[in-house]
Parts: sequence; C-alpha cells; structure tokens
Amino acid sequence: MEKDKAYFRKLANQIMFDLSDEELEELKKEFEVTIRKMDLLDKINTDDVKEMVYPFEGETHFLREDVVDRVVTQEEALANAPEVREGQVLVPKVVK
Amino acid sequence: MNFEVIIGIEIHCELKTNTKMFSSAPLSFAAVPNTCTNEIDLGMPGTLPCVNKDAVKSAVKACLATNCTIDTLIRFDRKNYYYSDLPKGFQITQQFYPIGSHGKVNIQTDEGTKEIRLNRIHMEEDTAKQFHTDAGTMIDFNRAGTPLIEIVSEPDMRNGKEAAAYVEEIRKTLYYLGVSDVRMEEGSLRCDVNISLRPYGSDVLGAKAEIKNLNSIANVQRAIEYEMKRQNDILLAGGVVTQATLRYDEATRQTVEMRKKEGAVDYKYFPEPNIFPIRIDEALMQDIKENMPELPKERYQTYVTTYELSDYDANTLVANKELSDFFNEAVAHTKEYKLVANWLLGDVSAYLNKNGLQIQDSKLEAKELASMIDMVANREISSKQAKEVFEGIVEGKSAKAVVKEKGMEQLSDPNAILDLVKQVLDANPQSIEDFKNGKDRAVGFLVGQVMKLSKGQANPGLTNKLLVEELNKR
Amino acid sequence: MRIQDCKEKELNKLVDLQAKLVKANEKLNAVVSYCDVDAQLENYTAPTDAPLYGTPVVLKDNISTKGVRTTASSRILDNYVPFYDATVVKKLRDAGAIFTCKSAMDELGMGGTGLNAYTGKVNNPYDLERITGGSSSGSAALVAAGLSPLAIGTDTGDSIRKPAAYCGIVGVKPTYGRISRYGVIPYASSLDHVGYFTTNIQDAALALEVMAGRDDQDMTSSYEEVAPYASLLKADLKGKKIGIISNVVDAIVDPRFRPSFDAFTKKLEQQGAILEMVTFDQDLMNALLPTYFIISNAEATANHSNLDGIRFGMREPGADLTEIMINSRTKGFSSEVRKRFVIGSYSLFTENQEKIFRKAQKVRRVIVEALDDALKNYDILLAPAAGTLAPKPDESFGEDLNNTFMVAENHMLLGNFSGYPSITVPYDVVDTMPVAINLLARAFDEQTMFNVAKGIEDITGLAGMTKEDF
Repeated sequence: MEKDKAYFRKLANQIMFDLSDEELEELKKEFEVTIRKMDLLDKINTDDVKEMVYPFEGETHFLREDVVDRVVTQEEALANAPEVREGQVLVPKVVK
Repeated sequence: MNFEVIIGIEIHCELKTNTKMFSSAPLSFAAVPNTCTNEIDLGMPGTLPCVNKDAVKSAVKACLATNCTIDTLIRFDRKNYYYSDLPKGFQITQQFYPIGSHGKVNIQTDEGTKEIRLNRIHMEEDTAKQFHTDAGTMIDFNRAGTPLIEIVSEPDMRNGKEAAAYVEEIRKTLYYLGVSDVRMEEGSLRCDVNISLRPYGSDVLGAKAEIKNLNSIANVQRAIEYEMKRQNDILLAGGVVTQATLRYDEATRQTVEMRKKEGAVDYKYFPEPNIFPIRIDEALMQDIKENMPELPKERYQTYVTTYELSDYDANTLVANKELSDFFNEAVAHTKEYKLVANWLLGDVSAYLNKNGLQIQDSKLEAKELASMIDMVANREISSKQAKEVFEGIVEGKSAKAVVKEKGMEQLSDPNAILDLVKQVLDANPQSIEDFKNGKDRAVGFLVGQVMKLSKGQANPGLTNKLLVEELNKR
Repeated sequence: MRIQDCKEKELNKLVDLQAKLVKANEKLNAVVSYCDVDAQLENYTAPTDAPLYGTPVVLKDNISTKGVRTTASSRILDNYVPFYDATVVKKLRDAGAIFTCKSAMDELGMGGTGLNAYTGKVNNPYDLERITGGSSSGSAALVAAGLSPLAIGTDTGDSIRKPAAYCGIVGVKPTYGRISRYGVIPYASSLDHVGYFTTNIQDAALALEVMAGRDDQDMTSSYEEVAPYASLLKADLKGKKIGIISNVVDAIVDPRFRPSFDAFTKKLEQQGAILEMVTFDQDLMNALLPTYFIISNAEATANHSNLDGIRFGMREPGADLTEIMINSRTKGFSSEVRKRFVIGSYSLFTENQEKIFRKAQKVRRVIVEALDDALKNYDILLAPAAGTLAPKPDESFGEDLNNTFMVAENHMLLGNFSGYPSITVPYDVVDTMPVAINLLARAFDEQTMFNVAKGIEDITGLAGMTKEDF
C-alpha cells in the first residue's frame, strides 16, 4: 500500500510532533529507500534464529537491595521544570 | 439473566517496599510533593533502571500464594505511550514474560467452592499522580516508579458476588503476605473489571466494557450488577453493546462512559534493552519459600481442623488478619477454642465497632481474654459475671485483677464452703429428707442455696461434692 | 597532547589552555558549553599521583554533568542543566580530571558527519572545510587540534571510531558494558558504548583503567575485572594472527588508498604479524547498515520519549498538553531526527515489528555469529576505518550509494552489534589528510587490542600526532 503524506503526518503526531509538507515529502522518499534497503535484510536467512536483544546474553543475578539511597530535593527535582505550582510541575488542565 | 455474563478482573497492587521499582528513592504516601524522587523517577535524560530485589521477592510470594508457575528468568519490556504522568514516555513492565502464570484461587459462592484461574502476575512501575484544578493539572512524581504487581484473572467470574469474592480473596492473600497495604480507598489496590455478555452456549465473547477506578469491593459488586443489567437490557431489546471504558458513579449508582475507545492504542512493546535478564537463583527462591507467611487458606484449614471451628467462624476470623492473629495468640493460652471464637466474633467485635476501633488499636490483650474464658469454663465465674469482667479487660486490665476488684473471686476454700453447706443443710431439713428418699433433685436445690448464700461465688463443683458428702453423713 | 605532559605541568597552566581552547573554537566550532576551570582548580583535591592529575578532559555533550548545561546538541535540551553526574564523570573527576568543555555532536548521537549539531558544523582541524565525522565530532576535533589529551565520546554506529579516522587520532570503543552508561544521554541502548579519543595508545590504555568497571546503576555493566591496561601495555605484533576484512579493502575506490595500505600491512608483517584476508558473506556485509538503522531508530524513538518539554527542556506554548508536547518536540528536534523517529516508530508497530524490528534483531545475531566464526581464527580483525579521506560537506554520503561501497563506510558496526572492543589508529597521512585503520578484538580483550595498536603506533611513528596550525 502506497503510504501518503497524510499517513506519515499521522504517525508523527502519534509520537508527539509535526512535520512540514516539505519534511513529509522527504520522509516519504526516505521511507521508500528504507523499504528497499529491507530487501537486503530479507536476503539473510533467519529461520530458527532468535532475536538478539542484547549484545551479551549470559544470565545475570544482580538485584538492588531495597534500601533508600538516592533522593533529590524538591528544588532539584523541579529546577528544570518550565512551569511549577505548589511544588509540582504544571501543565494545562488535562481533560479526563 | 438472559445471557451469560463473562467477567475478568485486573488488579494492580502497590507493593510496600522501601524503595521504588527501578530506583533507590523512597516510597511515599501523602508526603510533600516531589520529595520522594530522584533523576530516574523523573525520567531525566541518561538515567537507567535498577531492579528492586524486594519487589521481585514480593512478586514471587504472590505467585507462590496463588499457585502460579514462576518464570525465574526476570525479563522486562517497554510499553510506549505519551502522557503527562509517564515521565519516560514508556512504562517498564513485563509483557512477554510475566513472572507468574497459570495460577488459581478458590472463592466461596452460593453453589460452593469455585476456582478462579489467574492468567498472569507481572511486575511493573506506577505513574505519577496528577491533581486537576482549573488553573491546570499539577503533577507530583512521588508515586512515579512505585513497584506494582498486576494480577490478571481469566474471565471466570459470572456475577458481581463472585467478582467481589475474588477481589476479597486476592486482597486477603496479599495482605497476609505482607507485601502491600491493599487499601482500595487509598489506591494501594486498584481494580479494573472487564465485563461482557453472550448467549448461553456460545463460546464467542461479546463486546466488553471496562469499568475502571473502582474504589471499594462493594462498588465492584454494585458496578457489575448495574452493568450486567444494562447490557442485558440492550441485548434483549435487540441492540448492540459497544466496547467502552466506564467508571462507576457512586452517587447515581450507575456506570458512566469515560471516553470513547478510539481504536486500540498500539503500545509497541519491545524488550527493555537496559536490563539484562536476571535469574532468580535457587538460594533466593529457597529463602523466599522458607519465609512465606501463613496464608489465609492455610489458617482456615488449621481453624476447622485443629481448633474445630465452624466454617463460618473460621472464614470470618480469617477475613480480618489482625483479629485472626489475636485469636492465634489467645488460643496459645486456653483450650476453649470455640469460646474464644465466640467472644471475638461477638462481644469483642461489637465493642470494636461501637468504638470505631480495630483490634490492634484496642487495649484488650489476648491472654487476658483467654484467662477470662478459662475462668468461665472452670465455672469460677458465671457468664453474667464474665460480661462485667470483659468491660474491665478491654480497658487493658488483667482478668484476675478485675475479678478481684469486683469481688467476684470464687470461694474455693473447702472449709468455708463446708461451713455454708452445713448452714444450708441445717436450714433445709426437708431437703435432707427428700434426698434420703431418693429425690436427687434435692441436691441441685441445695447447691443452689449454697450458691445464693455465697452470692454465687462458691465453686460449684466443690460445693456439689462437699454437699453430697455431708448429706450422706446426716 | 599527552596525559603525561599534563601531569608534569603546573595546574594553573590549565587556565591558559582554556583561553587557547576558546580562541581555537572560533575556527573549530567544537564547543557547546565551557566548564569553569577556575572553580575546579579552586576546589581541586586530587593527589599528585592520581592517574589523571592535572589532565584537561573534554566531555561530549550527551554526558550528564551536574550543574553544567548538557544539550546533546539538540535544541530541545538547550536550557537543560542536569542535577546529577554521569558515573564516568565521577570516575574521571576522582582520577584528577579537570573538565574544559562540553563538545558538540550530531544531534542526540544520530548522525555520522558533524553537520547535525544545533551549534552548527564542526570543523576538521586538518582542513576546516572538511567534516570531522560524527557523532562525537567536537571531541574528535579538540583532541586532533592538540587542545586536549583526552576527550570522551560515545559510539553507537562508529561515532567515535569514524571521527577518529577523519581527524587522525586514536578512538576507542571498549567492550559493551566495560564503561558505565549511567548518565549518558542514550541513542540506542543495545548499541551505545561510552568511549574516548587520545593522541596515543599509552593514554588510551590509561584512560580505560580510569573509566572502566562495574556500576550497579547500569544493569548492563560488566563485572569483568579491570586490568592494569597501561602497565601491561607493550607493542605486540609478533605471531599475532590478524584477519584483514577483504570486503572493506575491495570496496575502496580512491586510488591513493591501496599503495598506502599495502605499505602499512607490509610493515606489520615485517614485525612478525601473520596477516590473512578474511572475507565475510557480502550479503551479510550489505545488511549491516539497514540492520543498524532499524534497530537504532526504533530504540532511539523510545528512548527520547521523555523529551517532551514537561519536566525539563525547552517547552513551547500550547493550549493543552498534547499541543505543548507536539510544539515542543517539533521545534526541539531537527527535521532529520524527527524523520528518523517516524521510521523508528513505524518499525515498532505491532503489525510491523516481526518483519522489521525483530527481523533486524535476528540479522544482528547472524552477523555476530559470523564475526565469532572469524574470530576463532584470528586475534584481531583489521580494516581501513573509512573508505575515503574526511569528506567535504557536499561529498557526504546520501543513502542511495551502492551497497558495496557503503560496506567500506559501515563495517565498524560489527563492533556495535557484537559489543566487542574496537579501536581506530591513524597509520598514514595522505595529501595532508590522515588515514586510519580499525581493529576489532574479542570481548573484553582490550589488552590484546591495545598491544597490537601499540605495535602499529611504533611502526607508524604517529603517536601524539595533532594538527595545531589550522
């Protein structure tokens, strides 16, 4: 199915940003290249091959002890927040 | 019902560990906003998750208590979506390899014991808390990262009562395990109900309604009963039930649509690359198994078998862990198990309810209750007197002290009783005659007279014995 | 510039160096933020025998520094000041390092040219018109320009080892998990490595000793013992079996390349190295780049979901939450990054994952297995680090150049897929531009890698090479 600019715009909006008309045009082309490049992947036989999620696959055993160690002050927590109110991050009212 | 009701329940339980699921910041409840976080909980750039051992142990306990198959290789996945209460823009959860699967619990229904199967138990992290005001929504990240276990049932329940019983069974089990406060009204236990109807005999599921944010077990039942009827009426009228997300409005006692499900969200689950799979080794599993607390069903068994309590009494006691703990302590001091149960479920519960107390807050001590009950059983005090003694021991006094204080001390001195016996016999020559003539009832009468004379404090057994001896002498 | 030199100088010379750095940056455009050297000197407590005593260190701007702006060269983080230090920063500081600046990079690590920093093109000291490569562009430029003996970077798809080649310096990507990633703004978590640049192998070995080690905060970090790489360092070519990747050599079209390379390999043989050509399945080599793009874009998209203007970063106004997020992220990310995110997201959709993302992860395994096969027979694999000299911006590669050629540019991905340690070492200067080779060793075998690299360095005599008259 040929994917049009509207489709890509929708994808972009789903991940919380927008693309201009020009950018969508470029993306459409780049997407087609990506799909073509996937043919290179399809040439590799992966029957009975498990996904490699991690570069190293030995089992680990480490689990963190349940002891309080690192807390930051309210000031530090909010230092970078663009809008703060009553010690909390403020955003426009989220419609429920 | 004209249709079969299919109910499945998802329970989220906040664990009461010391720290978050993936960070060493402390848990909080009602603390000052944003004082229980660190860079990890805030989803700051560059942070990495670090798995909490105790959260894993709690999850294992929950699996053991519900007969789940345990996957000892812990693997996490990302659930990706955007929302203001989700700092990383994804939640770390266990989508593909939940720690527990294929579990079961038993509930009591009107038709007897019913098994409810569990589909899975998995670990994940909680979101931040939001406060909606007209000036905007304020976000407190104290709760962000709190460890959760999610327990998903199979759709095995068929009505509101079964659902309520199931949630209660899970709640009780988790409480006995000590892994959570499981207070629905505080949010440490949350319940989402999935309910759909289908014609009897069909094996195709109907459109389901998801009822969220139920804040009590009673409301779980009410919401389901309302929704069952609502869907039933729609289908009977030839209509179609649409998939929806609902909430239960307590005031109107109805389910209300929250938002239209606009096409399912694709969470794009994939394995969490920052956590290598972790194997729970044999030693840790052994440690957890050996230190499992007693479970409600185990306690129930002990109550009906060892203590020979009735099914009702056993269940009622077990339903309240602190009351049940109290029972256990009391029966370490007396063999009058049934009496202890009676007192706890009767007068003690009434007293607690009247004063708005939980047993752990009252001054009543288990060994004092036991002491009082033994005195009743040994007929050292009467049941009537016991009620008076009870008033004293709930204030924290010792039973013996109260008995003494109220002058209820039993007369056990044989000489003193013999004195009274002689007095009574002297005053009742006719009864002596009756006794000699074979009227055994005379004994009872005469014992009664001694009791009267001693203001009820003569030891009845001893009185009887001495009386008969004396009668035989005369 | 060498670490040893720094240790022997007086600390206050660093103030002069900082001034020099600021001046030089006018031409290099390698710096995002300057660190307060005076303040660090005032509070300096490192003992004189500390491994990095008096050593100025550059940090790539994706490494969190408490109290110092950290942007990952992305507009969305233009005002972001972390309240915590990355583990690697703590380790460097404890060893006596003094941080001079946060260096420019391709935005969020997503690029290989040095053209995609929010602060603009980073210039190659060897020829200011040319690119440095990326994404660790600024770090490379500053070490090459003799302004720092050590610069930290990250390598996800050769982002240290390629710029090292273009800038004629040593670039190290250690084994995955060797250096903690805690505090490093990610690109693709299963491919990201913290690494660094130096001008010579001795320094490279020492730097790893300082930075390596298990960090409980990074659950992918390794428990492997950290060897005293520097004290065990020795030039070691004799009897070393080195496999030269023929697929790469054969793909290079520049006529100047072969004579230079052949002369070099001959010298290796003269030192007793046993060289053989090793050939990987060409289809597999052609699959390197698309496999990388799919995995890295997908992981990156998820990783950067936290950059939304809500708790930190540049927030754009909006009528509701969604608008704020959309406006912030649209303005905050470059066109390039946004396009890649869309593709990343697409490959993770439930209906696409199997044939795109998971397929790529399977191909990754096939690639690594082929690599393991090769490493059974060789101590080290060697290949030219780049197919060309550092290009000019208009010469940078589009996506549609032919596959075979692209293999020359992308073979270092083998090190990211496998996690095995890899180092770029310059071996010649051709028409005033540096050329380099790349070595790949077995997991946690950095010692062998350093020792062979030392042998190479001794042959070439290029230890400490910098370009300071730019």
